[in-house]
Amino acid sequence: MDTLINVSKWLADNIFGEPALLIGIIALIGLLAQRKSKSAVISGTIKTILGFLIIQAGAGVVVNSMLSFGPMWQHVFGIEAQPLQAMGTDNFIAKYGGTITLMMTFGFLINVLLARLTPFKYIYLTGHMMFWVCFVLTGIFVETFGPDFSQTKILIIGSILMGIYWTLQPAYVQKYMKKVTGKDAIALGHTVSFAAWAAGALGKVIGNPEQNTENLKLPEGLNFLKDSNVVIVTVMGLVYGLGAILAGPEFMAQYSGDKNYIVYGLLQGLKFGGGIAVILFGVKLLIAEIVPAFKGFATKIVPDAKPALDCPVVYPFAPTATIIGFAAAFVTTIIMMVIMGITGFYVFVPPMIALFFHAAAAGVFGNATGGIKGAIAGGVITGLVISLGQAIFVKYITPTTVSDFILWGGDTDMFIFGSILKLIIGIFS
Amino acid sequence: MKILTICGLGQGTSLLLKMNVQEALQSLGIEADVDNSDVSSASVENADLILAGEYHIDSLKHLDTPVIAITDFMDVEEIKNKLQKFFKGE
Repeated sequence: MDTLINVSKWLADNIFGEPALLIGIIALIGLLAQRKSKSAVISGTIKTILGFLIIQAGAGVVVNSMLSFGPMWQHVFGIEAQPLQAMGTDNFIAKYGGTITLMMTFGFLINVLLARLTPFKYIYLTGHMMFWVCFVLTGIFVETFGPDFSQTKILIIGSILMGIYWTLQPAYVQKYMKKVTGKDAIALGHTVSFAAWAAGALGKVIGNPEQNTENLKLPEGLNFLKDSNVVIVTVMGLVYGLGAILAGPEFMAQYSGDKNYIVYGLLQGLKFGGGIAVILFGVKLLIAEIVPAFKGFATKIVPDAKPALDCPVVYPFAPTATIIGFAAAFVTTIIMMVIMGITGFYVFVPPMIALFFHAAAAGVFGNATGGIKGAIAGGVITGLVISLGQAIFVKYITPTTVSDFILWGGDTDMFIFGSILKLIIGIFS
Repeated sequence: MKILTICGLGQGTSLLLKMNVQEALQSLGIEADVDNSDVSSASVENADLILAGEYHIDSLKHLDTPVIAITDFMDVEEIKNKLQKFFKGE
């Protein structure tokens, strides 16, 4: 009996308590269940573990590149210096990665169960967003109840909430998704859902779908914008370089050392973009085996369900609306950045992925009900929610846990539904 | 043979396309490695064939690798027909 307890304790400490290995086991089970070949099982398991470790490495680069960003811009705006307090995504997932991955798995099983039993027949297949939403939800819980709060409780409550969110989120947007795609075959499964829904609802009121964005001719020069790595690095390099110039050589010397302070600023922006590229590569490996396993399982249990998919599936229905949505969100966040800076409220970091991909999707939804005005509304809504949301999350909701991720990856649903969750669980803390 | 599916971030959409390409290849009885990636990495992946959404074709046409444009990522029939045409043409 003692041996049995010792063995299970050893397993708990060394295997299940180690997020990278736990994730490997989940992938392994998924691959075995699909009856993959021996080599596919081994390489798939190892790649999944590798993905987790790569995310940690990339997150370290991002956190390091951001250390001087806040103080630099705070100096420019004359705000009291408040360095980033986050423990860092790398440290956070080292401690809570197991809970996050199990939450993805159990939350997905609840999604399948709800799709089977209720009229909401949607299966959420956007793996990277499943990972990040579980990550932020865990951050909100740890921030509210403290680092010693039971991870089992977070896992149980989180899995139920995620299962419900992944089932109902595609459902409440489907009304507008049908307008966008012209049929009822696929659904939207993405954290931009609030902005997409609001764009659709507002577009109907203020716009006219007859004034379709696709009748416009836009200059070809915007083509380079399609390469997200280029955009992230360019924008962050410019914002960092500009901050360094405005903060001046004396202030920047404490960070730049012997290097020229402007070159230092540009390089930090490049490092930020590089770190994000590494994280994205890690996430790609992490979910590459898990999502097909989820899909295979769900197809067997709920064959008549609609897949809820990543937001780029709507781009082909209105490519020009994507550019209008992005441009409107970009202008909105620049205005918000200046207002929040001048008033001394918050130094905003432009999150290029949300601006670029998510605002683009909101633009398509706005166009479906309100034409050009609707597409602009979609961008403006996304810009407002992500700028105010980032400020509120970094300052109040997740300052010491996941705020470094929020700077580049925070999205409308995380901010809207996360704030509601925080209000509710705040009562019990 | 190495086939690459591409989307903007190399995260969600290219993974969906990858799963559907694998399904199409299986029904055609063709063996190939399929991987998904982002636009930036496409040029260094040394693929023999690239599949991407129409809105990424402009960013990929400078490559030596043949590129197939896909209209509907979820339409396995479309992918199958285009792959079949490509392999017959070779």
